[in-house]
Amino acid sequence: MPDLKDIEQAGQLVASVRKSQASYADFRAVRITTEDVALADGQVDRIDRKVSFGFGVRALVDGAWGFAAAPGCDETSARTVLEEAIAIAHASALLMKEPVTLAPVKAVQADYKTLVITDPFAVELKEKVEFLRHLDSLLRETEGINQTETFLSFRREEKWFYSSAGAVITQTITHSGGGLSAAAMKSRREIGERSFPTSGGQHQTGGYEIITALNLEAGCKPTAEEAVTLLSAPVLPERTTTLLLSGDLVSLQIHESIGHPLELDRVFGSERNFSGTSFAAPGHLGTLPYAADFVTVTSDPSAPGGLGTYGYDDEGVPAAPVVLIKDGVLVDYLSSRETAARLNRQSSGAMRAESWFDLPLVRMTNINLTPGSGSLDSLIADTEDGVLIATPAAWSIDDRREKFQLGGEIAWEIKNGQRGQIYKNPVYSGTTVEFWRSCDRICGPEAYTIWGTPSCGKGQPGQNMRTGQGASPARFRNVKVGQAA
Amino acid sequence: MSVPTDKASIIKLLDDTLSRSPGEQTELVYIGQREATTRFAEDVIHQNMAAGDARVIVRLVKDGRVAISSTNDLTSAGLDRAMSDALQIAAWLAPDEGFPGFVQSPVAPVVEAFFPATADCSPAQRAGAVAAIVSAGRKSGIQSSGLYQTGTETIAVANSAGTRQFFAGTKAELSVSASDDPLLGQGWSTAAQRNVALIDAESIGRVAIDKAVRSRNPIAIPAGDYTVILEPAAVGQLLLFLGFLAFSGKSFAQGRGVFSGKLGETVTGANITIHEDPFLPEYPGVPFDYEGIPKQKVVLIENGIARGVVHDTRTAKMAGGTSTGHALPADNARGPYPKNLTLLPGTATMEEMIASMARGLLITHFWYLNYLNPMKAQVSGSTRDGTFLIANGAIMGPVKNLRATPAILEAFARAEQIGRERVFYPQYSAMMFVPAMKIAGFPFVEDTE
Repeated sequence: MPDLKDIEQAGQLVASVRKSQASYADFRAVRITTEDVALADGQVDRIDRKVSFGFGVRALVDGAWGFAAAPGCDETSARTVLEEAIAIAHASALLMKEPVTLAPVKAVQADYKTLVITDPFAVELKEKVEFLRHLDSLLRETEGINQTETFLSFRREEKWFYSSAGAVITQTITHSGGGLSAAAMKSRREIGERSFPTSGGQHQTGGYEIITALNLEAGCKPTAEEAVTLLSAPVLPERTTTLLLSGDLVSLQIHESIGHPLELDRVFGSERNFSGTSFAAPGHLGTLPYAADFVTVTSDPSAPGGLGTYGYDDEGVPAAPVVLIKDGVLVDYLSSRETAARLNRQSSGAMRAESWFDLPLVRMTNINLTPGSGSLDSLIADTEDGVLIATPAAWSIDDRREKFQLGGEIAWEIKNGQRGQIYKNPVYSGTTVEFWRSCDRICGPEAYTIWGTPSCGKGQPGQNMRTGQGASPARFRNVKVGQAA
Repeated sequence: MSVPTDKASIIKLLDDTLSRSPGEQTELVYIGQREATTRFAEDVIHQNMAAGDARVIVRLVKDGRVAISSTNDLTSAGLDRAMSDALQIAAWLAPDEGFPGFVQSPVAPVVEAFFPATADCSPAQRAGAVAAIVSAGRKSGIQSSGLYQTGTETIAVANSAGTRQFFAGTKAELSVSASDDPLLGQGWSTAAQRNVALIDAESIGRVAIDKAVRSRNPIAIPAGDYTVILEPAAVGQLLLFLGFLAFSGKSFAQGRGVFSGKLGETVTGANITIHEDPFLPEYPGVPFDYEGIPKQKVVLIENGIARGVVHDTRTAKMAGGTSTGHALPADNARGPYPKNLTLLPGTATMEEMIASMARGLLITHFWYLNYLNPMKAQVSGSTRDGTFLIANGAIMGPVKNLRATPAILEAFARAEQIGRERVFYPQYSAMMFVPAMKIAGFPFVEDTE
């Protein structure tokens, strides 16, 4: 356990920075503990535990930012790091147009903890390994399966935040996740592969009870059987048709074509050199019909269970829902205090850093597509002719977040309300706004899940962020699917 | 917490820790870094930072069980906790039949990779270089974005079999994106060196700005197969995916790699030779891997024929070979992949490639390349930052971006010309030394409106 007294002294030292040195400063100490348990082909592939602890300091000097970070934490190193951040800010000020201003936020003293019923780090490794071995044996009951992976993943982030505005916030956020995959291979040149509950597993905020709720045992048989079927399935042929997406693929679609384009730092060009810009310029705010008129999308870091769930962001802004797309129209962005101030808005509380080492960036929280009604089965039954694609397998979108090509692990032809032929390597493509406007039905709360994305890359140096996307299966009209023969 | 940075202190830290290990065999890997990054956009510095960290990865063997933990708490207590964690993990593991055991490796060759000018580069120095780029862009009505990063990397490996390896290097990278509007002109350029003094910031900026000016008002062209000239960065992006899909010993040994069962087969045209070469004098790589095994130069494709993949000790044992010195840190599940890829040059100049083209495209680089069909080494991604139409041997003007879906080896099989000049191109912790390439029949599936 880090020395809390040292952290408190270091935090207070930064928070009490002299106004003559910095108009604002904040301090964020973070300890991240992770545990990964994975089996490959029934054998333990890795069990590893990692601990990382350190702190970072942001300083706003003459309207420009500086940031410095160091491992460990004590008052002496905090003084050194603060001075370095201030020196860096002076260098930043050599190239500025307008001084940075920050949208106001009430400084609070608060303590936030994820609701955890069963501490995942307290569950014995033996139980975890035996559970994964059990899953592996279930996968191998299906003839033809010759490669398997099963895994569990846990992460705990403890954070201490102090700001010169008076905020003192502690948070403990716990994530749990797991999943499995099965592959059938033939002659080293062909493969059929499926995963469950989704590729890379499902990850949410909470304790070991998340793993129990995933019901991984129930997924083993269909996952394995579909993998074997895919081995001999044809590739989805190219055509324009009605497209049904599984909830986890809708989650990916939200992530790539709503979440990223609405990051306000990206909109202003901050990511121009790496992950690109956005077509959703501020001039579109309140006017752009981004999606069909029944579509509403929120950013909600307060939603229970999402991988983007927390009490306060890394600027001390409280988590609260913000509507991004209302009745199909773009109405807000994901923002920080700095970017929100440029539009005279309040921060949406989306400023987050991967670790103490990293500078916070505008990041997705839980980007949630408001559910409609009905189950996936009812959506299929309501579809005369089309294709259902499930489980993310491929994704790419241009640097303005407009034109995309995404793909799934499996597809079914839908004819007269029934599933038919299975296809492998299915892809579909489109343009963000045109695609979301073509949405004509979203399934209901019974099919709704906040899917977790545990590694979303952004920034230079690159950071991996953990985000959530609330989604139900949905249907889109006149979409190009498949690949030309 | 003070972090050791010199060889003697780090090796002593690892020696002392090894002496307290409860394991029958123990491996300790020290990974230290210092990053200073000046990031700019909209002609201003908007992110500016310096951060350092160091961690030790413990791999401990008890009763044939191999367990891993890591920590950045480098106090004796912190390192003992990490070893205790590993010991606790080992208790729940089955004996690892595939574990080859730690061995005493010969000391790797010393490479000259540390340059004080890079390690000591100040934020003011970086800001000055950025200011010059921004100023040049403004004269052409262009906004500049990018990053200027300098830093150090320190790696040491010690194991209970007697291996002791140490490396300290510096690295500097500048990349510049230039644009006057997202829909209009865009350009990009980059450079990477161990010695920051070799980075000509104004020249890099000038290339990006010039390209942005030349790519104003692009026209739309239909999707289809085009002959293309890929600039070196675009070649490097495809090459890195081959690193993951074809040259990785793990997927190869599992039978899922593109080269699985295909060594000795023709996979590209005879004009393609690709090496993993960590010993290029212009940009030396780390001379040993995270198991302390000295790196080898590996011939991956020779005159179009698949010749090899890179291995760590585990994948080498799986495949019946020997390690080539390409292990990743033990807590990484990806498996070995090459980090110093070189594609041998041809004889053509860029001007000759353009002059020889009846109709085709010149591509600066790609964005968001991602797997489409891994078994075919097929990827999907869009062009970016300057795509130009070439007709009758001359650049006619800029075109809008297109989505490409090349199967990489098939594309390399259609390489008609290879550039004689090579540049270093960094991506995802790999450093590639690559030429431009002219390729026929490069597939684009998504047209521009």
